[in-house]
Amino acid sequence: MSAAAGFAALYQRRVAIAVKTPVALVSQALLPILWVLVVGPALAGTGAGSKDPHVDYFSYVAIGQIVFILPFSAMFAGLTVLNDRNFGVLRELLVAPIRRATIPLASIAAVITVAAGQITLIVVLSVLRGAHFHLAVGPTLAALVAGGLLAGGTYALAEYLAYTLKQPQTFGTLIPAIGATPYLLCGALYPIATLPDGVRQLSWILPWSHAVALLRDGFIGSGSSHLDQIWHMRSQTAMVLLSLGVLAVFAGVMVALAMRAFRRATLA
Amino acid sequence: MPASTSIASGGARDADPVVVSELTKTYPGPVHAVRGLSFRVKAGEIFGLLGPNGAGKTTTVGVLTTLTRPTSGQAAVGGHDVRTDPVEVRRSIGVVFQDSVLDNDFSGAQNLRLHARLWRVPDAERRIASLLAAVGLTERADDVVWTYSGGMRRRLEIARALLADPKVMFLDEPTLGLDPIARRDLWQVVRTLRERHGVTIVLSTHYLEEAQDVCDRVAIVDKGLIVEEGKPLELVERLGNEVADLALADGHDATELLAALDGRPGHIIRGGSGVSIVSAEPRQLLTDRISALPLSELGVTTMTVRHATLNDVFLHLTASASEQDLASAAGSRA
Repeated sequence: MSAAAGFAALYQRRVAIAVKTPVALVSQALLPILWVLVVGPALAGTGAGSKDPHVDYFSYVAIGQIVFILPFSAMFAGLTVLNDRNFGVLRELLVAPIRRATIPLASIAAVITVAAGQITLIVVLSVLRGAHFHLAVGPTLAALVAGGLLAGGTYALAEYLAYTLKQPQTFGTLIPAIGATPYLLCGALYPIATLPDGVRQLSWILPWSHAVALLRDGFIGSGSSHLDQIWHMRSQTAMVLLSLGVLAVFAGVMVALAMRAFRRATLA
Repeated sequence: MPASTSIASGGARDADPVVVSELTKTYPGPVHAVRGLSFRVKAGEIFGLLGPNGAGKTTTVGVLTTLTRPTSGQAAVGGHDVRTDPVEVRRSIGVVFQDSVLDNDFSGAQNLRLHARLWRVPDAERRIASLLAAVGLTERADDVVWTYSGGMRRRLEIARALLADPKVMFLDEPTLGLDPIARRDLWQVVRTLRERHGVTIVLSTHYLEEAQDVCDRVAIVDKGLIVEEGKPLELVERLGNEVADLALADGHDATELLAALDGRPGHIIRGGSGVSIVSAEPRQLLTDRISALPLSELGVTTMTVRHATLNDVFLHLTASASEQDLASAAGSRA
């Protein structure tokens, strides 16, 4: 009961911090919103597409925006860790009568909650702009889990960096590098089969690629997921499970690294 | 005492809310921040840890608040061992850190509510209102903290530290950076709250006149060791009640003056531009003895006689330790 109460208090604090900075939330969402409302429809009108005759390019690229906003926003959330550590309330939290592991875990949970809101925002805006989605319980659930694992894993990476970087300003330079660069290599805007050799193989191991494939599987349908371009298999279920496994390993490793860095940074 | 033996339970004196025994902390380097501290703080007492920068005060507070892991020795707070029962230690303490530790984008009341939830404070809203009134922040309770002055932030932190009705409150340099009025107000709040709540307070401060005024007992820490412990006035009396401050003219060092003073009663404290003589003699006798010296030939420009303070005790003890270190270093080189 005590652990749950402490977790809930810390979780609500982090969600409140995110909500209290609407400028940051809006600025992080600006690019994906621009894609959904302007760039995607414009590109779709030029004939660019997913090379899938059953899916319009706008719907295809709209879901791709989710893998931009989730990691980018998660990396930004790492700035709160730096702030708490250097100027803020971390020491107050460290002398609270709770298990200290609760502190990073509650933050990860809060970031996943914000991610769920961001997925909802992109999906709703896309539908309003004319995207066509086909939801089924299993694949949609898998898609949401994939989004949560990508956001949670990226945020855990951000926590790890925030606790280990010697110079806090380095963190700012890593936000676009980690938060945005993989978005261009993961099949968010075009199928990864179109990527050149070497880059294509790299995209197979990127958690971003598995997340965008699962999100498309959940919101558009298996035909547009292009999981087969990663796994080269026939069983959609097997490929979904394998991609979820990749994301779970990514998130698990990042959370373990973040917890270790947190322990080392906070107990002299 | 073996390192594995707990001092958190058993024993007639374990009602003391803070018990420290042979505590050491060595950082990589190695840096011996604390080298065997032992002290006890009685219930309801205000206990001051005094010492120069790097003396080991903050490290000691860090161990007692479970922020720093001890290298060896024992420490218990509220009857709980800091090593084996850190969560229960944290449940029984409130901490005001050296620098401000607040959620700046939240209001004062919101900061207190977070603390109340983490410490599971019953009837939290009533208690928050009561403490905000006690520290004079009721009117500003809903303003975000970044609009607060330094003194207001400190008072809010003290209210927060008391929110969960702790057995022990730690104040680590609480008046650092505050103007004199804010410092005076803060100590007044601390005294009032101590009387009202009966909380035990462990504080560290550089401001010795404040410590003399506020603390029931103090320990003077230097280079990780306690060099003196007791009631402030007792420590002053032990050193001597009267002080003669002798200012030296530019270009004169204290060597000749110290030679002339050699063998005379009193402790000598060397300062940047002069020498202070602390004596148990009556003021008139001290004045007469010093006046008998050829003061102008020795470069003395002015002499001021005053009552001794904790500051003199502190300077005497920490300077003595430094001189002993120099002497032993010279001895080992020889």
